[in-house]
This record gives sequence, C-alpha cells and structure tokens, in this order.
Amino acid sequence: MNEGASVQEFFGIPFNISNDLPGLVAAMIVFFTMLWLSRRIQLKPSGRQNFIEWIIDFTNGIIKSTMPGKEGSKFGLLIFTLFSFIFVSNQLGLMFQVDVNDVGYIQSPTANAMTTMTLAFIVLLTAHFLGVKKFGFKGYFKNTYLSPLPFLLPLSVLEEFTNFLTLALRLYGNIYSGEVLLKLIYQFGKSFGIASFIPAVPLEIIWQGFSVFIGSIQAYVFVTLTMVYISQKVEKE
Amino acid sequence: MGLTFVLGAATGVEWGDMLFYAVLFVVLLALIKHYAWGPVTDMMEKRATKIANDLDSAEEARKNAEQVEEQRVSALKDSHAEASQIIERARKNGEQQKTTIVADAHGEAQALKDTAKQDIERERQDALEGVKNDVAELSLEIASKVISKNLQMNDQKALIDSYIEGLGKQNEVK
Repeated sequence: MNEGASVQEFFGIPFNISNDLPGLVAAMIVFFTMLWLSRRIQLKPSGRQNFIEWIIDFTNGIIKSTMPGKEGSKFGLLIFTLFSFIFVSNQLGLMFQVDVNDVGYIQSPTANAMTTMTLAFIVLLTAHFLGVKKFGFKGYFKNTYLSPLPFLLPLSVLEEFTNFLTLALRLYGNIYSGEVLLKLIYQFGKSFGIASFIPAVPLEIIWQGFSVFIGSIQAYVFVTLTMVYISQKVEKE
Repeated sequence: MGLTFVLGAATGVEWGDMLFYAVLFVVLLALIKHYAWGPVTDMMEKRATKIANDLDSAEEARKNAEQVEEQRVSALKDSHAEASQIIERARKNGEQQKTTIVADAHGEAQALKDTAKQDIERERQDALEGVKNDVAELSLEIASKVISKNLQMNDQKALIDSYIEGLGKQNEVK
C-alpha cells in the first residue's frame, strides 16, 4: 500500500494506474497459472492436473455447502475464478511491492476499496439479476424485500446496502491493514540502522506469514458469502 | 499516510477503476472458462461417468461370475450323483451276471450227471441182456444134449464130462 497514486484520465474517466496495474498483474498470474495447470489433461489425472482439480473440488465444495443440488453447479466457474483471483491478489502485495517515486505500482489490488467494491458489486449484481430472472421482478421483490415480514421493508433495503459494503470493506480492511503494518515494520527497520533492522526481520516474517493466512481466509470468506448472497436471491425462504 | 489516502480518496474517486476491474474480471472469467475450467471440468465429468460405467460393468461381471460358479457347483454335484449311479448299475449287472453264470453251470453239471447216469444204466441193461441170452443158449444146449443121450448112469457120467469139456472149449472159444 502506498500513499501516492498515479491518476490518469482517459476519455475523461479517471483511472488510478497504481491500482489498475496490480489488478492486471494478478489476473495475468491467475490466468497463466491456470493455463499451465490445465495443459495435457488426461482421464487419469497426474501432477498439475491433480492440483487444479483439487482447487476446483475445493470451490465446488464451497458451493455445495450453501447450495446443494444441481442448481449450484452453474456457479462453479464464477466461484473458481473469484476465489483464485482474490487469493492471488491478497498474496501479491505480500511478495512484491514496487514503488516508483513514492507511487506504488505493484501491490495487493484488494488493498484498495475500489477493487473490492467492484468485485462485491459484480457479485451482488449477479445475485439480484439471477433473483429477478428466476422469480420475475414481482417474485424477486417479494422474496427479497417483503420476505419475512412486509413492514421490515426499510430494513431489508438497508440490508442490501450493508451486504454490499461489508462484503467489500471486510476484504479491503483486512488486506489494507496487513499491508500497512508490513510497511510500518519496514520503516521501523530502516529507522535506527542495524539496531532496529535485526528485530524487524523476524517481525516482518511473522506478520507476512500471518497475512498469508489472513489473505487465504478472506478469499474463502468472500466466496462463501458470495454464495450465501446468491442463494438468498435464488432460493425461496 | 492513512490521512493522505483518505484525503485523496475524498478529493476524487477514480471510478475508472471500477470499469477496469469489471472488464478485467469478465475477461478473466471468459479466458479461464475457455482454457482451464472447460477442459478440466469436462474431463472430470467424463471420469465420473467412466467410473460409474466401470462400477456397473464390474457389478455385471460379478453377477456373471456368480452364475457360472453356481452352474459349476451344480454340475459337479450332478456328476457325483451320476458317477455313483453308474457304479451302482455296474454292480447290479455284475451281480446278475454272476447268478446267471452260476445257475447255468449248475444246470449244465446236472445235465452231464444225468446223461452219465443214463449211460451207465443202459450199459448195465445191455450187459444183463447179454448174460440172459447166454444163459438161455446154454440151457437150450444142455437140454438138447440131455435129450440126445439115454438116461444111463454110465452114459450120464460121460455126458456130464463131455458137457464140461464142451463148456471149457466154449469158454476158450469165447
């Protein structure tokens, strides 16, 4: 995470390059890893194929736990991609931090609220769209906003916004705070020469390990909640 | 540091990022679907059906094997029974043959004995007949000799002598 930001405007739309570039890098890492893992697919799996099938089984397991049955299988690709992208994004900033003139160009894309909000927005848009598609607009409205008791309508509307915000900000907050602390430990290590450098190294290692753990957990939580929100919309209560 | 970020975020929202990430994510979805997810899940599906088929065919093969085994056992049992039947029949045949052979032999021996007895009887009869004929001849001869000579003491004596002589001669001739 870096305080500086390189904002460029294309067609009058402001783009934050120091947020977009790491997203592109993370997506490319995900894509090429999956491409590499899925070459030479055989009926009898071996080596890399085992690994990608293990990931697919894991994400399918997340779907199964909230939406058992045939209906959930069409979300396999979404959950698989979402999970791998968020996972790689969370870990990216722990391994690489590239700053040029105090402007970060490589960091965790998920350490920026814009990124996580976009992802949460995609997820909830999908959920609402599927809800409307399945029950029609009337059924969707009834199911989503008037479902337990009609007079709770204001709360239900509010809930949709809080769902969106909590989904986005939980991920952002965890990853951002992790990177802030990494940065702080790094600055502490620099501040008093060798005297602070030595204690800073194990601290940094410990915090990086913990951040890896948090990043994995948050990726898991994000896709689990995604499935929960989708299943709320497409299943009648 | 945090303050500048908050300030920066407050002064201008880079909403282009939203567009960027939405497009990025959709493109990533499409690429992963085409290059990784599709082939791998297809193969997983294929494997699942293949395993199901294999299980079914294994079940079938097991049933077949069981049937064959049953047939084999029953055939073995049948063959046991058949073998004992054959032995039984052979023994019965042998027994029967033995009794008939013994009976035949008995009959034959009896018949031989009977014929031998009959032969002996006939021989004896023949011998008796012969003796009777001889005695009659002798008596006739004696009677004729007696009649041809006078009944004198002297002559009688001579007659007996001659008779005896004649007898001896006859015996020699015979």
